[in-house]
Amino acid sequence: MTPAEFFTDHTFRTVFLGTTMIGLVAGALGTFAYLRKQSMIGDVISHAALPGALGGFLIAVTVLGIDGRNMAVLTAGALVTGTLAAWLTQLISRRSVLRVDTAMAVTLTGFFGVGMIAMRVITNGDYPGKGGIQDYLFGNASVLTRADLITIGAVGLTALVVTMTFWRPFAMHAFDQTYAASQGDRTHLIDTVMFGVLAVATVIGVKAVGLVLMVAILITPAAIARQWTSSLRSMTVTAGGVGAVTSGFGAYLSVSLGNVPTGPLVVVCLFVLLVLSVLFAPGRSLLLRAWRRRRLRRALRDEIQTGDSQPRPLAWKRAVS
Amino acid sequence: MSFVIGVLGLAIMTALACTLPGTFLVLRRQAMLVDAISHAILPGIVAGYFFTHDLSSPLLIVGAAAAGLAVVSGSEVLRRSGLITGDAPQGLVFPALFSLGIILISAEFTDIHLDTHTVLVGDLNLAAFDQLTIAGVSFGPQYLYVMAGLALINAAFLAVCYRPLTTQSFDDEFARSAGLRGGMVSALFMLLTAITVTTAFYAAGAVLTLALIIVPPATALLISRRVPRFIVWSLAVAVGGAAGGFAVSYLFDAPTSAGMAVFYAAIFAVVFIVRELVNRPKRAPRAQRAETHTDSPAI
Repeated sequence: MTPAEFFTDHTFRTVFLGTTMIGLVAGALGTFAYLRKQSMIGDVISHAALPGALGGFLIAVTVLGIDGRNMAVLTAGALVTGTLAAWLTQLISRRSVLRVDTAMAVTLTGFFGVGMIAMRVITNGDYPGKGGIQDYLFGNASVLTRADLITIGAVGLTALVVTMTFWRPFAMHAFDQTYAASQGDRTHLIDTVMFGVLAVATVIGVKAVGLVLMVAILITPAAIARQWTSSLRSMTVTAGGVGAVTSGFGAYLSVSLGNVPTGPLVVVCLFVLLVLSVLFAPGRSLLLRAWRRRRLRRALRDEIQTGDSQPRPLAWKRAVS
Repeated sequence: MSFVIGVLGLAIMTALACTLPGTFLVLRRQAMLVDAISHAILPGIVAGYFFTHDLSSPLLIVGAAAAGLAVVSGSEVLRRSGLITGDAPQGLVFPALFSLGIILISAEFTDIHLDTHTVLVGDLNLAAFDQLTIAGVSFGPQYLYVMAGLALINAAFLAVCYRPLTTQSFDDEFARSAGLRGGMVSALFMLLTAITVTTAFYAAGAVLTLALIIVPPATALLISRRVPRFIVWSLAVAVGGAAGGFAVSYLFDAPTSAGMAVFYAAIFAVVFIVRELVNRPKRAPRAQRAETHTDSPAI
């Protein structure tokens, strides 16, 4: 398929725009999860989005009497439980001896279990519009609608604006929480806002990418960007760009190949970029390190062989240590 | 043995086999590694199916365990490179493997009955379907005996490697300086973890497996501060939670795996809240509390 064909087709354009926006928002905001060293929180949030989305569905159908697949309602429900799970994770690790990884596992399984029970209730019950509900969880970019695009765009933009507003406290929290607290920050409040923003970044992608893979869209761009940049600002922008371009490319690839879903393709593309970045990025990469080490080793050997006792730049000593 | 009792036995035995390695996974701060392993099982199964074209072949289990180990070693490579921070390595590796699995399924075998849904949820009742019958007498589900064997292996490993495992979990530097063969024990422990996750996965699905491995030790860690007592408490919570969770799901006709996962979370929540309430009145002033925290090595 040529790009011209791709972009003139309405459905393809919707899929492309949707995944690109998801990649942009998730990539940019994932930077904070990555630097906070809580990358797996993305996995907790995406699993915890399940009961919220299904709860939203049930409320929409039984109480509000509107279409249960209304993206705004599902997203709102998912945001509530996603943020709650992230907040509970922080609470547990703050108030007990448990480390944050254990707290994550506990909240993830609890929320997801509730979600599975809700799923059983919905599939067994007689609710209008329950047909497509599985797509919301396991990801299908081709069912994105124009209304979905608007929801993703509006919610994602809000999250980006909030992040820009809270830029300084977020940055301090990502690097040095003790310092942030000593500066009189309201630590818990900032934390809650930050994880709320992360919940937005995760939740908007679940319908297109699926809850299992969302963590990769969130943190892989950040890990890639870290290889090429060394300031928070440039890292966030690069991560957003990498996320957007790779997701758009993945959507194009998925349509061209036909039978392959978008989410997994995006994730594989991101992973290939990550491996290339870890191997080859200038400044910090495995290849550069190996090359430097080799050069220093040769310098040391030459020095020993020629018996040169003149004091030299001590570069090789640093290489050995 | 009636079918329900058989499934209950299977639930309890799976919980026991899972919690044993779970204790040290919690102490070693590798809880979310289990999550990564359990999701990476999908491509392992698909790869096994690719070679055998038989969904009941034991090679599928080998493939699944290998995929689990691929996550462990892949994350370890990324972590050792020093270029990837925090808990990111596992979160980078497992989605990539999971994606490969899905791409393989959608490209090669559209007929295979393995959707992500089944993978995440699992069903104890299905696992209990094959009964062990000797001379016309039913001895419960066959899988019960598989899990019992696994529980024995796990218990034996923990008993033999108790010292290096404990030392490593609390002070890795000291363990290495004392000449304990940490690398070997760690590698074996990870292998056993991958096997446990894979085996339990067939009975419980990815998410309940994570719950069975991590939540009982997490609850026990709130209760006890000595390793032997911590392990005993973990096993007690595991058994109580499995029996209670199974009964509740049975009574309310909820999906067994999901019901058990929620029941475990509820036990944890109750213990956590009670502990908060009990600790509240005798809480020391802020400064003093910070001091005691640094003095006592947190387990």
